[in-house]
Amino acid sequence: MRNVFSLALSVIKDAARRKVFYVVFLFGLAVVALSPLLPTFELGARAQFLRDISLSLISLFGVVLAVILSVGQLPGEVEKRTIYNILSKPVSRLQYVAGKYLGILAALAAILFIMGLEILLLIYVRLHVFTPIVFEGVFAVFLESALIAAFCLALSTFATVPVNAFASVLFYVLCHVKTGFLHQSLVEGTSGVVKVFAWGFYYLIPNLENFNLSLKVGYGGGASAAVMLRITGYAGLFISVFLVAGYLVFRRKDL
Amino acid sequence: MEQNPIALDSIKKSYRSGLRRKRRVAVDGLSLEVNPGDIFGLLGPNGAGKTTTIKILLGIVFPDGGEGSLLGHPLGAREAHARLGFLPEQPYFYGFLTAEKGLELYGKFFGLRGPLLKDRSRELLDMVGLERDSHLTLDKYSKGMLQRFGIAQALLNDPELVIMDEPSSGLDPVGQKEVRDILLHLKEQGKTIFLSSHQLSEVENICDSVTIVNLGRSVKEGRLADLLSVEGLTRIVLRGGGPAALEALEPLASSIATLDGDTVLQVEEPGVFPVLEAARGLGMELVRVEPYHLSLEELFLQTIRETAP
Repeated sequence: MRNVFSLALSVIKDAARRKVFYVVFLFGLAVVALSPLLPTFELGARAQFLRDISLSLISLFGVVLAVILSVGQLPGEVEKRTIYNILSKPVSRLQYVAGKYLGILAALAAILFIMGLEILLLIYVRLHVFTPIVFEGVFAVFLESALIAAFCLALSTFATVPVNAFASVLFYVLCHVKTGFLHQSLVEGTSGVVKVFAWGFYYLIPNLENFNLSLKVGYGGGASAAVMLRITGYAGLFISVFLVAGYLVFRRKDL
Repeated sequence: MEQNPIALDSIKKSYRSGLRRKRRVAVDGLSLEVNPGDIFGLLGPNGAGKTTTIKILLGIVFPDGGEGSLLGHPLGAREAHARLGFLPEQPYFYGFLTAEKGLELYGKFFGLRGPLLKDRSRELLDMVGLERDSHLTLDKYSKGMLQRFGIAQALLNDPELVIMDEPSSGLDPVGQKEVRDILLHLKEQGKTIFLSSHQLSEVENICDSVTIVNLGRSVKEGRLADLLSVEGLTRIVLRGGGPAALEALEPLASSIATLDGDTVLQVEEPGVFPVLEAARGLGMELVRVEPYHLSLEELFLQTIRETAP
C-alpha cells in the first residue's frame, strides 16, 4: 500500500505544478464568482439559482479536470520513459495503476472541495444564507468525475492522448444523453439484432444523470442518504470495472 | 552452488510497427549468463537489441519466447527488483522533484523511511557530487548531473545487482573516471554489474566478461581477457634503424608499422628469435616483447563485420 501512496503523492505534486491545472481551477472559480451577475429572480429563488448554476458549472469543470488529470498519466510516463525507472523498482503494475488513480482522486477531491467552499462562501456573502447542503452536490460531482477519470485512465493504457481525450468527452456526453435522446433513438428506432445491441450498449454505459443533484440541492431539499449511498455504489461499480479492464490491458503491455 | 544473478535462455522478441504491422525482430534467441561479482558488458551496434534485452530483464517488455531469471526469480518479479539497482540510458526522472525528494520517492519503493532514507540519500548525493545542488528540481539539472542522480537512485537499496544502460553517457572525462571508480568500488563490495555501453575503452578497462550482440543474436561472448588474447602471436617493439631496417624486417613479420618513431611488429611464435637477431644485426634497440592482444575496439569491429548480413 505504501507504494500506492507514494505514487499517488507524485501525481498530486505533478498536478500542483501543471499550469493547465491552475488555469482551469482559476477559471472555474472566476465563473462561479461571476454567477451572481447573471439575471436573478426574487430573493427566495436566488439561493436556489446560485446553488443550481454553481453545481452545474462545477460538474463541467470536474469532468474537464478529470480528463486533464487522467488522459496523459500513462502515455506521458511512457513517452518520457519515467515509467521504466518506477517499474524497475519493486512496484507492481497493479500498484502503479492504483497509485495513479488514487492520486487523481485526491487531486480532484481537493479541488472540488475548494470549489464547494467557494460556493458556500459566495452564497453566504451574497445572500447571508449558510447552505452546507451544497456539498451533497459537490460529492455527486466528485463521483461523476472519478468515474470519468477511471474510464480515461483505463483508455490511456492503449489509446493516444488525443484519441483518449476525444473518446472520454464523447463518453461523457453519451452517458448524459442515454436516458433521453439515446434511449429514444436506440430503442424506438431499431429492431431485431440491432435492438439487442442497442439495449446492451444502453445498459453497459453508466447513466451520469444519476449524479446530477443540481435540482435537488438547488431547491434546498438535498438528496436522501439512500440516494447518496446508491450513487456511491453505482459509481464504485463502474469505476471498478474500468480500472480492472485498464489493468488487464496494462498488465502484459510492452512499454 | 551460487546462482547466476542473470540468466537468459533463447530469448526472442519482435515488434510490429507501421500501417502494415510489419514484424521486426529485436532479440533473436539470445542466451547469456552473468557470473556473481562480475562486471559484465553487453555490447553491440545501434539496433542490435541491447535496450530491448535490458527491458526484458526488468519486466518492462515481455519476451515472445525463451526464459530467464533475475537474482533467482522469474523476469519481472518484485522480489528481484527489491535487490536490483537500475540506471536508465537517458536521465528519465520526474523533473518536478528535487534530487532529495526524488531519492525520497524512489527510496520509499524499497521500504526505506525516515532517518535511514535521509542518511542514505545524503551519503549517495555526496558520493556522486550533487550535495550542493540537491535542493534544485531535476528539470534544472544538466545531462551530466542527471546521470549522477541516476547513479545515486540506482544505489539507494544497496543492490546486489546493478543494471546500467550507458552509465557514462553525458559525463565529461572527470565524471567518466568517477563513474568507473564507483563501478570498481561496487565490484570490490561483491556486487554484480551489468552494463550496456558504446564506450569500448570503458568496457575494456573494467569488464570481466562481455557479450557482443548483433541483429538480436549473441555473436561473441566470454571472459574479456580470453577474447582479446590472440593465440601464438607476439608483439615486438623496436627503436632505431630506419627505412632500410623496416624493409629488412618486413618479410619476417605478419605485420609491421611505425608508432611514435618505434617499429611495431606482430610476429607468429616461431619467428620471434629470428626477428630479434635480425634487429640486433641492424643495430636496433629492443623496447619490449609481449603477447599480442586485440583491443576491444578491434575485436568489436571485426566481430560486427564478420556477422553482418
